[in-house]
Amino acid sequence: MASSSKTSGPAASASTSSAPSSSALSFKQRPWVRWGAPLLLLVGLAVLPLVMTESTNDTLARIGVFAVAVLGLNVVMGYTGQVSLGQIFFLGLGAYVTAYGVSQEWNIVLVFALTCLIPAVAGLVVALAAARLGGLAIAMVTVALPIVGVPLAKRLSDYTGGSQGLSARFVEAPEGSGLYDDQWQLYIVLVVGGIVFLLTSLLVRGKYGRAFAIVKGNENVASSMGISPYRYKVLAFTIASLIGGVSGFLYMVVVQYTSPETMSFGHSIELLVAMVIGGAGSIVGSILGGAFYVVVPDITNAIDPSLTALLQGALLLAVLFVLPGGLVSLPRAVMRGLRRSTAGRGSAAPPTTPSPTAGSGSATENPETERQGHV
Amino acid sequence: MNRHFRSRRAVGIAAASALALTLTACGGNDAGRGGDAAEGAPSPGITDDSVTLGITTPLSGATAGPGTCTVAGIQAYFGAKNAEGGVEFGDGQTRTVEIEALDDGYDPQQAAANYDQLKNDVFAMTAGLGTPTNRAWRDAAIADEVPQVLIMTGDPLFSDTEQSPWQLGFVPIYQNEGEAFGELLAESGEEHKVAILSQNDDYGEGYVEGFKSAVEGADNIEIVEELTYEATDTSVDAQITELANSGADVFFNAMSITPLVISALQKAQQLNWLPSWFLPSNTSSPGAILQPGGAEAFPGIYSVSFAKAPQSPAFAEDEDVQAYLAALKEYGDYQDPPAFPHCQWSWMVGATLDQAFQEMTEPTRENFMEALRSIEGYQAPLMLEGTSVTTTEDNQPAVSTVNVQKYNGQGYDTVESFG
Repeated sequence: MASSSKTSGPAASASTSSAPSSSALSFKQRPWVRWGAPLLLLVGLAVLPLVMTESTNDTLARIGVFAVAVLGLNVVMGYTGQVSLGQIFFLGLGAYVTAYGVSQEWNIVLVFALTCLIPAVAGLVVALAAARLGGLAIAMVTVALPIVGVPLAKRLSDYTGGSQGLSARFVEAPEGSGLYDDQWQLYIVLVVGGIVFLLTSLLVRGKYGRAFAIVKGNENVASSMGISPYRYKVLAFTIASLIGGVSGFLYMVVVQYTSPETMSFGHSIELLVAMVIGGAGSIVGSILGGAFYVVVPDITNAIDPSLTALLQGALLLAVLFVLPGGLVSLPRAVMRGLRRSTAGRGSAAPPTTPSPTAGSGSATENPETERQGHV
Repeated sequence: MNRHFRSRRAVGIAAASALALTLTACGGNDAGRGGDAAEGAPSPGITDDSVTLGITTPLSGATAGPGTCTVAGIQAYFGAKNAEGGVEFGDGQTRTVEIEALDDGYDPQQAAANYDQLKNDVFAMTAGLGTPTNRAWRDAAIADEVPQVLIMTGDPLFSDTEQSPWQLGFVPIYQNEGEAFGELLAESGEEHKVAILSQNDDYGEGYVEGFKSAVEGADNIEIVEELTYEATDTSVDAQITELANSGADVFFNAMSITPLVISALQKAQQLNWLPSWFLPSNTSSPGAILQPGGAEAFPGIYSVSFAKAPQSPAFAEDEDVQAYLAALKEYGDYQDPPAFPHCQWSWMVGATLDQAFQEMTEPTRENFMEALRSIEGYQAPLMLEGTSVTTTEDNQPAVSTVNVQKYNGQGYDTVESFG
């Protein structure tokens, strides 16, 4: 197993590091790569906000927001196989909690804790009921969330500002840091989003991830192994809601405004599309999904602002047709193409060869838990 | 295999480093961040021979119809002006006016993104439709000192000079419309009993607030019953039945949902309750609402307007209307007859900006705001007799006067008195 060779990596490094070609370890498992690549990524991310233009920083920050939202959706849908059409509701709820907390001038740490807690509790309550139902019935229950959420946000105008929404401009670069607001915002998104991504990737890689996978694969098998599908579905849904809440907090950091439109049902579908396009059941796919969600409207706007809907539809069909596994399967598809072109050497790597994307960092270390491409 | 793998990896790393270096070089001097410009130096988006205006508005989705109009009208206006050589500014330069419009699909998040994209390239943002989509970047526009002016929302916040120093709404706020009808009613001198049905949000509340402020102190007007409904309701039959019982002879109906207005008109007829009826400007279309609702049965359907209706036979020979329709086809990329009043409003926005440009003595945003806030009693093309653009009043949008009109079976006629 990959994990066993991985643990032996550091011990073997002393003897093998001077003789790379004789090593049985693949490039990716070399210790200096295993520690160096994430470090390089970290340094890159730390420098990134400083060297980019303001509009690039804004775009990257928004990608971060929706990457987190898509990641939450991935936990419940990509990894656990339960269709959820309500993710945008939790983003909206998190955004409203943040906006309300800020308008009441609560401590920002408390606000952040509440943005995690309240959507998680809401998700738990919904899941306790919804997870008793099987298959598409869960989808039907979750459809109701944004549909109820929009009029609710309009109605509770004492807390939500009604249909005029709430503004909260609370993220300003601290005095003396020498940073611009957009750089500071991007740092917050990178740190908070990075932690969420790290924790989630650990979660889906560990015993909970395996349990989610079995629940997704076959609930009867899960039951026979002592894994309660009901409890794990509730757990996945609650975590997804919590992550949705965090993305709502980041939404307020970046967009600084929320209204009932934020959680309109259409956006829920768009998040779902972004997840499938990025790559279901994949950490890197979540980032790609977030990028898709944010960048495509900008691209179509640049081409022809009066044809955005049409162009987005065309692009969606094109991606699904060419890459049914989502954007995350692109390196693998390219590798396969390259291997085919160099066929005959007989030394081609097995299909589970780790993808060579440098940017994926620690997330793709262990491809076996990354079941890419199948919803 | 390892060697093969490593060489590819090395190329990848090399490429990534090269990219990073390039980016560093490009962004080294905080590119794209406009610092505080020197006093009197030109603002972004304006040169000696052109000025660029930005618009973010829904061009796709449910509000694409009116949204497309908000771009078409102003594009037509300045398209025609540019064809004549441009607009002569107060500083003596003649500039052509370019429009950069982006689609936000009525999504506040996308509207804010569009603003971020445009703010360093355009001189001012204008004409965009929607309350949430304009609110989303209002704070940012104030912080960046970018004008967000003559936008299409009835939200009073944008006309509050204190809170919104860089903003100005164009269309009448909800209160203006309710007030206009209330005044007409109070002036009638006859005894009237009024029933009110309003949407339970800031839209309905705004209309009712304006109406009540106008009839306050008028002894001849009595509000006998007041009910609300939710924007998500599919029927208001229960409310109509209850209101019919009140014996009111005037019905103030602040409703923004087209099918509900039609069914309300029909339900009242079934109950044989035939009051004089007030409708907001956005739900008073003769073809789409009044004819299907059988509005001829009522003694009078009243609404308000400040723009000439290009389809109305009364204005068929009007010079303004003819010039407008021709330009809309030629420069506005809008081939059909305008389906929404937003096309006309957007044309007027163009004319109002033209006025402000003529008063500008320096090519700066500050100077533009000053010029824009000094327009008084300007009757823009397509405006009805008795309405005008006035930007000097606090807490009022650019257009705050509306004419009350009465349905005549086909279109509307301006009325001076009730009855």
